[in-house]
Amino acid sequence: MSKKAPKGEYIETDTGNKVSRRSQIIGTANIILGGKTVIQAEVIIRGDLLRTYPSSSGDGGKGGHPVAVAIGRYCFFARACDLRPPGKMYKGTFSHYPLKIADHVFIGPSSIIEAALVGSHVNIGANCIIGKFVIIKDFVRVLNGTVVPPNMVIPSFSVVAGIPGRVVGEVSEGEVDGFDLRDIYRSIGN
Amino acid sequence: MSSSKRVSTAPAAPKSPTVLAPTLVIGEHAVLTGTYLITLGSNTVVHPRTKLNSTYAPITIGNNCIISERSIIGLQSPGSDQGMTIENGVVVEVGAIVEAKSIGEGSIIEVNAKIGKHAVLGKHCKIGPMCEVGEHEIVPDFTVLFGNGMRRIDRSGVEDLKLKMVARQVEILRKLIPNNLAKFK
Repeated sequence: MSKKAPKGEYIETDTGNKVSRRSQIIGTANIILGGKTVIQAEVIIRGDLLRTYPSSSGDGGKGGHPVAVAIGRYCFFARACDLRPPGKMYKGTFSHYPLKIADHVFIGPSSIIEAALVGSHVNIGANCIIGKFVIIKDFVRVLNGTVVPPNMVIPSFSVVAGIPGRVVGEVSEGEVDGFDLRDIYRSIGN
Repeated sequence: MSSSKRVSTAPAAPKSPTVLAPTLVIGEHAVLTGTYLITLGSNTVVHPRTKLNSTYAPITIGNNCIISERSIIGLQSPGSDQGMTIENGVVVEVGAIVEAKSIGEGSIIEVNAKIGKHAVLGKHCKIGPMCEVGEHEIVPDFTVLFGNGMRRIDRSGVEDLKLKMVARQVEILRKLIPNNLAKFK
């Protein structure tokens, strides 16, 4: 609990994350927040869905702790979105795999993310479904209501829309500044 | 979630009458409400934040099912009180709304899909993300719904493998999700 504001909407952590009191974060021990990330109300983050298949490179994250969800800096998770590590069968056993999100990632309200990797400066609109093991590279815009099919790899600077999601255009160079989420972070008061 | 109508055996608490198999895995934040009976079979996994609502009809879920978070199972408005049956090995993904009368063995209901009231789903069906099955609709076995209401029949013959995969997934989830069966008894 924060000392100065006992009943604000957000709890601010030491690294500047603003986490709503009404978010539903499960398995907090397995989630890494890079700092300055905003998590709004009713967001579900499934940190409990850990990797059970032993990894060869010993990638257990910092200090040997298993990591289910890794999130970079200046990310913004709007109301009621859901982050969930994807799972699949591999060599006869089922395992979940970590969900990695880089910096300056915006995820719109009610979107469900089961991707393997979301690159930096990615903007995902409202009511999107990002399928299992999708890889989204940097500077991608996913428009509202898109259903990205499982295992899709979205190249950098793409605009993706539709059901199923397809690349419908490119992000122009002038637009790139719009992906910076520092101002949004600052605008979130307690 | 409060119903204005009088109900015969209304318990004051939202706790509903349940028959839970001892090998069921149910997350702490799952919500079981309603006045009719909720039956959950063995080796079924109910993720946290799942809502099972038996206010209008009983719910029966078979063995080896996976019901994901934020999905809503059970009638949301008054209808026939025949109840709904989910057979063995059914996977309900995040945010799906299921009001069907019955769902056949090994069916998969994907993210944010909607199964209308009293619909009947055959065996090994797959309802794609955000797809909808209408009220009273009968979907034959092996149907796949995808995209904007397109459908096809998938007879690739791998349904036994798929059932095995669901069973494996249940095994893993059993280790990962802290079980809170006692709370719902």
